[in-house]
Amino acid sequence: MRNLWRLLAFDIVAPLAAIAALLMIGVVLGWPLWWVSACSVLVLLIVQGTAVNFWLLRRDSVSVGTDDEGPGLRLAVAFLCTAALVAALLVGYTHWTTPDRDFKADSRDVVQVATGMAEAAASFTPSSPTSSIDRAAAMMVPEQAGPFRQQYAKFSADLAQHNVTAQAATLAAGIEALGPSAASVAVVLRVTQSTPGQPPSQAAPALRVTLKKHDGNWQVFDLMPINSR
Amino acid sequence: MSDGEQTEPAADEDTADADNGSAGPSESEPTSRMLSNYGIASTVLAVLSVAAVVLGVFIWSSHRDDDAERTYLTRVMQTAADWTGVLINMNAGNIDASLQKLHDATAGEINTDFDAAVQPYRQVVEKLQSQSAGQIEAVAVETVQHDLDTQPGVARPVVTTKLPAFASRTDSVMLVATSVSQNVGAKPQTVHWNLRLDVSNVDGKLMISGLGSIR
Repeated sequence: MRNLWRLLAFDIVAPLAAIAALLMIGVVLGWPLWWVSACSVLVLLIVQGTAVNFWLLRRDSVSVGTDDEGPGLRLAVAFLCTAALVAALLVGYTHWTTPDRDFKADSRDVVQVATGMAEAAASFTPSSPTSSIDRAAAMMVPEQAGPFRQQYAKFSADLAQHNVTAQAATLAAGIEALGPSAASVAVVLRVTQSTPGQPPSQAAPALRVTLKKHDGNWQVFDLMPINSR
Repeated sequence: MSDGEQTEPAADEDTADADNGSAGPSESEPTSRMLSNYGIASTVLAVLSVAAVVLGVFIWSSHRDDDAERTYLTRVMQTAADWTGVLINMNAGNIDASLQKLHDATAGEINTDFDAAVQPYRQVVEKLQSQSAGQIEAVAVETVQHDLDTQPGVARPVVTTKLPAFASRTDSVMLVATSVSQNVGAKPQTVHWNLRLDVSNVDGKLMISGLGSIR
């Protein structure tokens, strides 16, 4: 009975589990060429070892699993099987779990930064003309902040002249595209412009905010209207 | 997976060794101790293997879920984009065929009140009168939705609570599109669309269950 268990565990299940782990690594990695060759060599070795083992089992009625004289070899088999399974687990974690988690965190962060940027860029208060542009520029990639400021200055000078207050709020936002280091978010704002002595006017501009990941932080690369035609 | 059985033989080995030890401590002590050490090592490895397999199954299933979610949301966006493509490319010439096509892809309230729901869009098309071409500029699954008219600044979850009974889930898709009428001799007219579409999963088929303007 004990021998039957040992035969099952060390001679049959262990090599099968090791082969399954090696194949799993291939699935996770997407079968790159180097793993195809490495995996075939390793699987071939396992199959060969198992074949020799069963040939010896037929000849001597004793296998690696049931041999009382060879506990070390048995332990080695168990160790290799465990190593393969743990390797598969680690590869799965680094290639599946971590990116999935990053993707979810990025989805959240990107939209947050993009809506904050769009609201800041579309708002304007005549009493403190640079407050919202400062807020917006702080969220931008440094080399893009300068040109953006210049562009904004023209627009805000015009608003300041007419003493217009613009208040922007996000109506809707969603991710158009998201990669590991770049993203594009669509934001629809409601901009309420009010001039003293006139009824406020409302508009719903749609903006596209493109972002880049820089040192783990999402920074705005550009902001432009979606339907510019 | 298959090597779940591995714990048992190893444990079996251990108990067998322990039995040996209690039955004849003086005779079999050296072998028993040696086997026991290997047995313990094997048991540890077996437990590790089983833990690796269990965690692996978790990793695999959560990745599969995430993958399915992304694929699903892509399908949702595609469905919304296709539907809107028909809507914004309606011309006076193809209005009936287009409306029929749009109607067939809807479900729920919008399906029963279809004429009322598309009335404003129909008016736009009839106003354009000419050969107009629409183009979708942006499609995104809405992750932030503020209802500024009722509760300023309060975020709502993406999945709306008024889920139709027939649908297993509903997602909101925002679309930004532009129609340009190409009327010969006249000034081209441009219409901007900021649309919100609710896409519901009805028995695996994606249907449009809501249509509105984001304003």
